Amino acid sequence: MITSGKGGVGKTTASANLGVALANTGASVALVDMDIGLRNLDILMGLENRVVYNLVDVVEERCKLRQALVKDKRLPNLSLLPAAQTRDKTAVDADQMKKLCEELKELFEFVLIDSPAGIESGFQNAVAGAEEAIVITTPEMSAVRDADRIIGLLEARKDEIKEYRLVLNRIRPSMVKNNDMMSVDDVLEILSVKLLGVVPEDEEIITSTNKGEPVSGTDNTRSGLAFRNIARRLRGEDVPFMDLDPQQSTWFSRITKFFNPAARV
Amino acid sequence: MQSLLNWFFRSSVDTVRETAKDRMKTMLVHDRLELPAGRIEVLQEELIAVVSRYFELDRDLTKFDLNQVERKASFVANFPLLRSKEC
Repeated sequence: MITSGKGGVGKTTASANLGVALANTGASVALVDMDIGLRNLDILMGLENRVVYNLVDVVEERCKLRQALVKDKRLPNLSLLPAAQTRDKTAVDADQMKKLCEELKELFEFVLIDSPAGIESGFQNAVAGAEEAIVITTPEMSAVRDADRIIGLLEARKDEIKEYRLVLNRIRPSMVKNNDMMSVDDVLEILSVKLLGVVPEDEEIITSTNKGEPVSGTDNTRSGLAFRNIARRLRGEDVPFMDLDPQQSTWFSRITKFFNPAARV
Repeated sequence: MQSLLNWFFRSSVDTVRETAKDRMKTMLVHDRLELPAGRIEVLQEELIAVVSRYFELDRDLTKFDLNQVERKASFVANFPLLRSKEC
């Protein structure tokens, strides 16, 4: 499952991108949108016009699972199970989700559950079918606090959730360098959690959302590369973390650093 | 004087990043322990009162730290003792 506690830190973006990146490695992947009532994953995938049935229809047996799965435009081994837009989080329960995920696990190598924000029933339903969790946060204080809360909840479910790892999203290397925000190491130290990946802030994400084509499917974006690296790590490969240092060390930045030793890290 | 020096020294070195990190750590220790704000301060005053019954303390150097090791909180108190008192 992909979870965060706080909304707007990039759960759905990460789900879409990891789905595409994993499918590009050849694995069969199901993306499950658990954000019932606030459906978005279909938009990021560019599949909003193909949604006929949804997750609640499957659970309430109005259709077969295979009928509700929407195949990706480019990747035949990637499918989306959309959320219902007109229902709410109470439309399914934990047992139903567990059963649904068991079914999906039989059909796909990877089942990615995009969890809704919050720690209420939506989270509880999403966690019910999961074996591993990817906790997404940004280096902002409010997001880190909520991630810590989620980690506490995952710790309490150690029997079901075998592993959880952190993806630190929207890192701004130049701000970290100027000591204006927390670094990757700062957040890892505070949360004491294993790192799965680091994704730099990237305007391309907005463009790609508007096009309905996740960045991890195309070359030449930093964020896309970051998501592809995470996908390879999920497949068990040992991929080094990206060097996020802003490369430009100009005479000007060197002089500023000389006069402002606090910025020298 | 010590605290003034501390303040001056810190303000020149502390960055926004460190401020965020320090606030974050304190906040999470409170969150994880479900510790109400101000409780630690009360504890500190009580501890000083107890230790002061037995020792004269160097109050300026008395230090309390609320830390985390892994995801566990720890509270460290340091009382520099000047001399024992008659009990």
